[in-house]
Amino acid sequence: MTQPVPTVPPATAATYVFAVCRHVDEGTLPRLPGITGAPVRVLPFERLHAVVQEVPAAEADRRSWTERLSDPGELERCVRAHHQVVMAVAAQGPAVPMALATLYSSEERARQALGADAARFHTVLDRVDGRVEWGVKVYASSASATTEAGRGAVSTGVPAGPPTSGAGRAYLERVRGTQRAREESRRAALLTAEEADAELRGLAVAARRLRLQDQQLTGCRRAQVLNGAYLVEEGRTARFTEAVASLRQRTGALIELSGPWVPYSFAGEDGARGER
Amino acid sequence: MTEVDYRRAGQLPGPTTSNLADILERVLDKGIVIAGDIKIDLLDIELLTIRLRLFIASVDTAKKAGIDWWETDPALSSRAAHRELVEENRRLREQLAAPAPAQGAGLPRNGTAASTANQDSPEGRPSGQAQGAEERPVS
Repeated sequence: MTQPVPTVPPATAATYVFAVCRHVDEGTLPRLPGITGAPVRVLPFERLHAVVQEVPAAEADRRSWTERLSDPGELERCVRAHHQVVMAVAAQGPAVPMALATLYSSEERARQALGADAARFHTVLDRVDGRVEWGVKVYASSASATTEAGRGAVSTGVPAGPPTSGAGRAYLERVRGTQRAREESRRAALLTAEEADAELRGLAVAARRLRLQDQQLTGCRRAQVLNGAYLVEEGRTARFTEAVASLRQRTGALIELSGPWVPYSFAGEDGARGER
Repeated sequence: MTEVDYRRAGQLPGPTTSNLADILERVLDKGIVIAGDIKIDLLDIELLTIRLRLFIASVDTAKKAGIDWWETDPALSSRAAHRELVEENRRLREQLAAPAPAQGAGLPRNGTAASTANQDSPEGRPSGQAQGAEERPVS
C-alpha cells in the first residue's frame, strides 16, 4: 500500500527493430536469440507489426554500439542474429528488413518513428510481396586462359626478334602478351556480365547492380565483374535459376547464384527505383 | 570454380560461413533505413565492414589450416563433448609428465603444450586447433 506502484514502467530499455511486416505470429519469435537474448516480440503500430527486442539502456548509446560492432566476432554475431530474425519473419509473409542497429530510446519512441514512416513500409511490403531476391555474381575467366594466350605471344615473339636483343625482346613481348590477354579476358568478362544482367533483368520485377566485391572478400582469385540483385516472383524461381544455368553453359563463365534472399536490396529507397 | 559452384548448387538460403560476405553486404548495406534515436554513422559501418571482411579472410585462412574452434564450440557441436574428454585427458597427462614445475605446465599457451595435445588427440588434429580451443575454456 505504501509502495507506490508505477503504472508505466520507467524507460530503462531501448528498443532494437529487426523488421516490419503486416502480421507475424508472435509465438514463433521468442525462440530466436536476437541480439541481446531478451524475448524477440511484436510491437504493433499503424496496422503493421514491428519485430523488436529490448536492449538494456546502458548498452544503448552510440559509443557502446560502435564498440560492440568494432569487435569482428561480435559484429558477425549481431549480423547473423539480425539476419536470422529477418528470415523468420519473412518466412511468414512479406517483410521489410531494417538496417543493422536501428535503435530507439524506448518502445514508445520506436512506435512513433516507425508510425511516421508507415506509408513507406506499406509501399515496400507491396513491392516485395510474393517475391524473393536472388544474387548473381559473375567472375572474369580463370588465369589459365590468360597464361595460354600469354604463351602464344611468347612463341610468336621469340623468332621475330634479332638475335642480339632476343632475350630482352622476348621478355617484353611476353609481358605485352600477358597484359593483352588479361585485358581481353577482362573485356570478355565484362561483356558476359552485361549479357547476364540484361537477360536476368528480363525475368525480374526489379534489378540492381550492387558494389563489386573485393577479391580479398570473395577469396576468389578472379575479379568479380557483376554483383547483381534481382527481385523475382516466387513463381518464376525455376525459370530464373534455369536461365543462370544456361548462361553458365553458354558463356563458360564462373557465375554464382545465391538465394532466395529476403529482398534486402529492394527494401530501401534506392531499391524503389527498380532500374528495370 | 567447381568448389564455389557446388556450394551454391544446394540453393540453401540459410547462412553458412561461405556466404557470410553476402549476408554482411545485405544486413550492413541494405535494408530500409529509418532515422533511429541512436545513430551509427554509415561511415563507421563502412569501416566495420572492411574490418570484418579482413576478419572473414583470416577465418577462412585459419579454417584451411585446420583451426576450427567454432566447429567445436559446446553450443554448436556435439563433437564438443568428445573434445572435453580429450582436453581433460591432456591435462591429466601433463600433470603426470611435469610434476615439479606443474604451475607453468598448467597454463599451456604455446607450441609445446599444443603439440602435446596433438599427440594425445586420437584424431591427430593440427596443433593450431588445440591452441584455439585453449582460448575458449570449456566450463
